[in-house]
Amino acid sequence: MDEGGRINKGWVRKSAGRVLGFFFFLGRRAKKTRVFVLISLLPVLQATIIKTSELSGRAPAGEGLAIFSNFLMIFYLQFFLVILTLFYGTSVASEETEGRTLPFLQTRPLSKPGIVLGKYTAYCLLTSLIILASLLASFLILAGERLGSPAAWEIFLRSAAVLVLGILCYTAFFTFLGVLLKRSLFVGLIFGFGWESVISFFPGSTQRFSIVHYLKSLLPAAPRGRFSFLMFRLEPTRPALALLALVLITAFFLGLAGLLFRWKEYLAED
Amino acid sequence: MATIREQGYSHWDGRLIERKRPWWPVTTMGIRLIFRKKNFRLLFAMSFVPAVVYLVGIYVSERVEDFKFMVRGSAQLLKIDPGFFKSYFTLDPLLFMMVMLMVFACAGLVADDLRHNALQLYFARPLRKMDYILGKAAVIAFFILLLTLIPGLVLFIFKLVFAGSFALFRSYPWLPLSVIGDSLLLTVFFVSYTLLLSALSRNRRYVMVMIFAVYLGTDIAFGIMSGIFKSPYFALLSIKANLQQTGAVLFGQRPPHAFPAVLSFGVILAFCLVAAWVLLRRVRGVEVIK
Amino acid sequence: MTAVLEARHLSKWYGNVLGLSDVSLALEPGITGLLGPNGAGKSTFMKLLTGQMKPNLGQALVRGERIWNNIPLFRDIGFCPEADAFYEEISGWEFLTGLVRLHGIGWREAEERAERTLGIVELLADKDRRIRGYSRGMRQRLKFAQAIAHDPGIIILDEPLSGLDPLGKRKVIRLIRDYGREGRTVLVSSHVLPEIEAMTSRVVLIHQGKIFAEGDIPFIRDLIEKHPHQISILCDRPRDLAARFIGEECVLHMSFGPEGRSLLIETFKRDIVFGRLPGILLETGIRVEEITSPDDNLQAVFDYLVGK
Repeated sequence: MDEGGRINKGWVRKSAGRVLGFFFFLGRRAKKTRVFVLISLLPVLQATIIKTSELSGRAPAGEGLAIFSNFLMIFYLQFFLVILTLFYGTSVASEETEGRTLPFLQTRPLSKPGIVLGKYTAYCLLTSLIILASLLASFLILAGERLGSPAAWEIFLRSAAVLVLGILCYTAFFTFLGVLLKRSLFVGLIFGFGWESVISFFPGSTQRFSIVHYLKSLLPAAPRGRFSFLMFRLEPTRPALALLALVLITAFFLGLAGLLFRWKEYLAED
Repeated sequence: MATIREQGYSHWDGRLIERKRPWWPVTTMGIRLIFRKKNFRLLFAMSFVPAVVYLVGIYVSERVEDFKFMVRGSAQLLKIDPGFFKSYFTLDPLLFMMVMLMVFACAGLVADDLRHNALQLYFARPLRKMDYILGKAAVIAFFILLLTLIPGLVLFIFKLVFAGSFALFRSYPWLPLSVIGDSLLLTVFFVSYTLLLSALSRNRRYVMVMIFAVYLGTDIAFGIMSGIFKSPYFALLSIKANLQQTGAVLFGQRPPHAFPAVLSFGVILAFCLVAAWVLLRRVRGVEVIK
Repeated sequence: MTAVLEARHLSKWYGNVLGLSDVSLALEPGITGLLGPNGAGKSTFMKLLTGQMKPNLGQALVRGERIWNNIPLFRDIGFCPEADAFYEEISGWEFLTGLVRLHGIGWREAEERAERTLGIVELLADKDRRIRGYSRGMRQRLKFAQAIAHDPGIIILDEPLSGLDPLGKRKVIRLIRDYGREGRTVLVSSHVLPEIEAMTSRVVLIHQGKIFAEGDIPFIRDLIEKHPHQISILCDRPRDLAARFIGEECVLHMSFGPEGRSLLIETFKRDIVFGRLPGILLETGIRVEEITSPDDNLQAVFDYLVGK
């Protein structure tokens, strides 16, 4: 029994499970999800254009995998991933307070950290589905002639894994921001597109104060060629350490978000 | 004898007259609400940093000897010509600041009204659809013009003042028109862009994300495609590139991308027309529920 | 009988604004009406009792336990918020089944309960429509439905009748009375006395964050009846009208409005004045433009009671 002083893990798990089901359903039905799905088709469209040009001889052949690993991954890793996780992550708390639907959750037998965990999981699932579906389609188009090669699939699977880790980590951070701040979206934009971009220009260990650094450290080595922008100025961390860092960042910010949500009072913006 | 005036509330006894500009209260209220946000004032102040930097540049250009030690290799900064003005108007940070202002201040202009069913309240008054749209557009125009037209003209005037002569004006008499022209182009574009996205959703947070995402995403798409195909025409995909292309032409400079600038004008015009069409459909007093 | 809902020296500030001031109250099974004008602190009190806010001082208890972050207690609580807010993009059916499932109730049972509850609130025919397309009254009924669907023993309703038509109000009032008879604990808030009167005889009066009276309806009515009422009559000959009323015992005080065009009567017996008025008008041929009661609102009553 949660008596206000202690958090009961059982309640957190049960609550998270119930909330996950409801909000995954809600998220799928939302109009904005459909718009994000449309946006996720842009790299597929780009991949199609590139492949068509390649087949018609207007672009150099055989570079599909390199284009996938670098160019398209820029779109996914440094733009689409951040946009989706920023929106959904901050929505965990903000959409309930701004939409004034929080009483429906607060007056049910749900643990508050469980609500945060449930919504977080639902939105991570949703964004993973959107991004991975698009990634797979782009990969199949661009690396069509190398689908029989295990190396190609390794690149895809590692890229997919990195994106999923990115989803988990960024969503946790933005969930924390959404619980903490009223103007979380604006701060999130500054972080996601300001800090995360600028930090790569800093030497030494400064890069380690960003999430994207660890994600890039886990990316498969890009095929050599003219497309190596993604790894620009990267001083990678060892993969095992990078993975650990991401897991710790995720757990830390998610835990903090749950605690803060439990402790805070949300007053309706009347 | 002194008149004793009644100090209670009383109805207005005068004749109600029709306003010449019915949209004006919509604009003034919109601007006032935006300035009430605490953090907005800081962002707004920061958006003038490029203008201040350029103003300092103009000052330095008249005192080159004093600042020679600082401006080694920065000769470009010191040459005050249409290229100088073009570089201000097409500056990446300035365009970025304009987008951030739209994100922070103007995302909810229509979205909030849709969310709270306020359109019925607007149209229950002697206000037409065009008045409503004009009123909201004027809010955005206010901020964009403050960052473009006003600094542009101030830079021009200060150059004349610091130089103590009309040399700049005599050399480039069309320069003020270019300043006005590009300011208007940026204003019309950002009005269309912001109002379009704001009218497409009731969720202000979602609109904020989309304003930023579409601007940045189109640029990334351009970067990817031009990196692969090495074709300048992919710049037509990018909002930023199109604005820079048209800005260069309006200041009589060589466009940054090697394709006819008229195409960029076409893209911007088409976008504005689509935005106007969508706005006229979305803004209405009654909601159609499907 | 042990109190089901209890407030012990409950106080709540919003920054410097005092929302609730040292409120102590014990509510037993049955229906209790919480009556107060807008801004009195009704919603604040309900939010504290339902654990949505934490008190600055004092305790909010449900079945003897503090409600804040006490999850098991919420199994037995149903809350109908005042705000008109929903997850707009889903249907009423999806909304209700989803919320019932959040109680840990299985799919089939949740659907059965949702169907039963939507039938009670007469939303079955529109259950598959998106909530965005619901009228004000339908939304209010849906809000009420989500508060009762899981069969709670404690039901807290914040202005449940707002937005309902007279027939809808009657049905909800009847439901609430049934719940009271079943022994559930129901707390209903309103700023309309007749609505509370129709539901229960037990009333708590709240004003400016303080409970200043609790008792049954006759007790409140007595207080109110001692409060003089004002009737303003705008007519062509107010002085002639005044002359006819001056002899009536029920008239406490009379005065003339600005420019002498209206007569303001103060009386303890409003019904008698209204009963006499048509006859007087017929006899005298006085033409009446407007009749209003300037103080006919709960705020005026409360001001009077607080002043007492």
